[in-house]
Amino acid sequence: MNIRAQIAMVMNLDKCIGCHTCSVTCKNVWTSRKGVEYVWFNNVETKPGIGYPDEWENQERWKGGWKIDKDRLTPKMGNKLGIMKNLFASPTMPTIDDYYEPFTFNYSILHKGSKFKTPPTARPHSILTGKVMEKIEKTPNWEDDLGGEFKNRSKETNFKNVPKDIYGEFENSFIMYLPRICEHCLNPTCVAVCPSGAIYKREEDGIVLIDQDRCRGWRQCVSGCPYKKVYFNWETHKSEKCTFCYPRIEVGESTICSESCVGRIRYIGMILYDADKIKEVAATPDEKDLYEEHLNMFLDPNDPEVIAEAQKQGIHHNVLEAAASSPIYKMAIDWKVAFPLHPEYRTLPMVWYVPPLSPIQSAVNSGTIGMNGILPDVDDMRISHKYLANLFTAGDEKPIKEALKRMLAMRAYMRSKTVDKEINTEVLEGTGLTPEETEKMYHLMAIANYKDRFVIPTSHREEAKNVYQHQSSGGYPDGDSNDTEKFKNLFGGI
Amino acid sequence: MDNFINNLLFTYFPLIALAIFWFGIITRLIMINKTVHADSTQFIADKKVKLGSNLFHVGIILVFFGHLTLFIPEWVYHMVMTTETKRIIALTMGSFFGTMAVVGMSILIIRRFNAPRMKANSSILDYFIIILLLVEAVLGLTAVAGTATTPIEKYAALSEWAQAVVTFQPDAGAILINHSIQYKIHIVTGLFIFMIFPYTKLMHMLVYPFVYFLRSGYQLVRRRS
Repeated sequence: MNIRAQIAMVMNLDKCIGCHTCSVTCKNVWTSRKGVEYVWFNNVETKPGIGYPDEWENQERWKGGWKIDKDRLTPKMGNKLGIMKNLFASPTMPTIDDYYEPFTFNYSILHKGSKFKTPPTARPHSILTGKVMEKIEKTPNWEDDLGGEFKNRSKETNFKNVPKDIYGEFENSFIMYLPRICEHCLNPTCVAVCPSGAIYKREEDGIVLIDQDRCRGWRQCVSGCPYKKVYFNWETHKSEKCTFCYPRIEVGESTICSESCVGRIRYIGMILYDADKIKEVAATPDEKDLYEEHLNMFLDPNDPEVIAEAQKQGIHHNVLEAAASSPIYKMAIDWKVAFPLHPEYRTLPMVWYVPPLSPIQSAVNSGTIGMNGILPDVDDMRISHKYLANLFTAGDEKPIKEALKRMLAMRAYMRSKTVDKEINTEVLEGTGLTPEETEKMYHLMAIANYKDRFVIPTSHREEAKNVYQHQSSGGYPDGDSNDTEKFKNLFGGI
Repeated sequence: MDNFINNLLFTYFPLIALAIFWFGIITRLIMINKTVHADSTQFIADKKVKLGSNLFHVGIILVFFGHLTLFIPEWVYHMVMTTETKRIIALTMGSFFGTMAVVGMSILIIRRFNAPRMKANSSILDYFIIILLLVEAVLGLTAVAGTATTPIEKYAALSEWAQAVVTFQPDAGAILINHSIQYKIHIVTGLFIFMIFPYTKLMHMLVYPFVYFLRSGYQLVRRRS
């Protein structure tokens, strides 16, 4: 058993209102630089929709993630030889048109321009060319709140085995938000396909980073990541990605996206897992077993044997303490209400999601569908279970249904307690929840106090031997930009 | 050609160029290693880059390795082939892959001059390098075409000269004094490319990630040091 600690996130989609505050704060902090204008380490997608970049979930097109090739786990792009062959021109790399052409409005013309004959307008200017753009073709959230025709949006792959025509009708349409960051996978494809060895996973907390000093811009990571969360900086010609705000995590603070989330949907905590199982679990033959197998990798942080072994392997006491009260462990393992995004990519992602409830309340009120107390049955949800299963469990509806059932039961139970003032334990039947567990679940998921949502141990920088050698290995172009400029002059526009 | 100029260009200039080359390589790799990268523009460009870049890179790499055979001593290759055979192989392979590189480069040059996004994001050095490489490749092809039927000694002389330069022979230039002008221009331009090599994006050649094959498995985990 090789115990490793992983910082993980859960997003409770049931509470996401799609306000994009996470995206904007992340953008302001990390990607408001030249070359990464188009980059959103965090973005919020409206589902159904093809997303950002175009059809990122369509791995037939982008070849991200892993495949089982003759019983062996291989990147979908090909083996090492195949990847090296692609260095001159990557065949499956998205180009900037698959994201969007970054633009700005030349507002200064309103101040500087001479007298206008017509009311002045600020026209969009491309940041790539500086020229006027006649038309803005798309942005990172072009489909926001079901923008555009259903015909275009429905191209997304989660409609596999769903009678999607039904959802094209206005009465049956549904909406949900999916905020996305880097998944900081246990079996990351971006790391695997980087020929320079610049991308790495940190041993102490599992954050995946790109060493900017060692990145040579071969661009394979952009193609390799099935979530399309590695971005090419067209100014520095190197790749960048979400860093899980490691400078904040290291001092015990939450990430920018979590800190600023107004819906309090994000949870951060430590998870202990057995790193020896990664290869075997990622190569699980049947896609539908991946979610269960992924769960089996996690270790119980309250098991004395696990604690003793972890201490022996050098995992710090404060990390173990944090793991023991991890909100992630409770939601993903204890209550099984959180799921990985697209486990079928075989990267073993570590940002998990609580699926949204979507009761058809008006139909319930008119008495046409069944009820569980005052809330409708889990089978009569607006969002097809199959659709959610395609997102979170590689198509297996059972775990999704059970999670929704538990969430509904929690609501019914708490409603009976706080509104009717008489505790109704009948609603918990068949969910496996006890009244105590339900109260705990309510406390964490509905009340969601700050200290419960974020249980983050501080890192142990005091043990670092040589900090200087880590300069810019942390994922961003070096902080001292004057340094680069100086050499740029000496060596003429490198 | 005047003896003094001939000596300058083919005895001294190669050594100066190589000195500057090695100085640049060593300083850049040691002092500012992180500035060495592929400088790819595929991300902001149109689809044409795939064909152009592949043709160019495959062509130029094979041509480059072909040139390395200049440094094989006569007695070594005579064990398997005569000078005539070597010439035929060199000329056919050279013209085939040279043409391939020229076609690729033409596609890339047209793209760099025409695509608005490329125009807005290209430095003078970008234009200079690609034109320089095209000129050099075309010169090489003309030299091959123009001297294909000259006596075999002329061909052998090139190899002899190259070996004289790298072994610091004081009269290396004399070997080429009566050689054809096409080859002379091709050689001088080539040496110039070597001279500026470390100070340009051409450096990415040296960081081609062979180590990828040596990595055991796929994943990398870094322990805090």
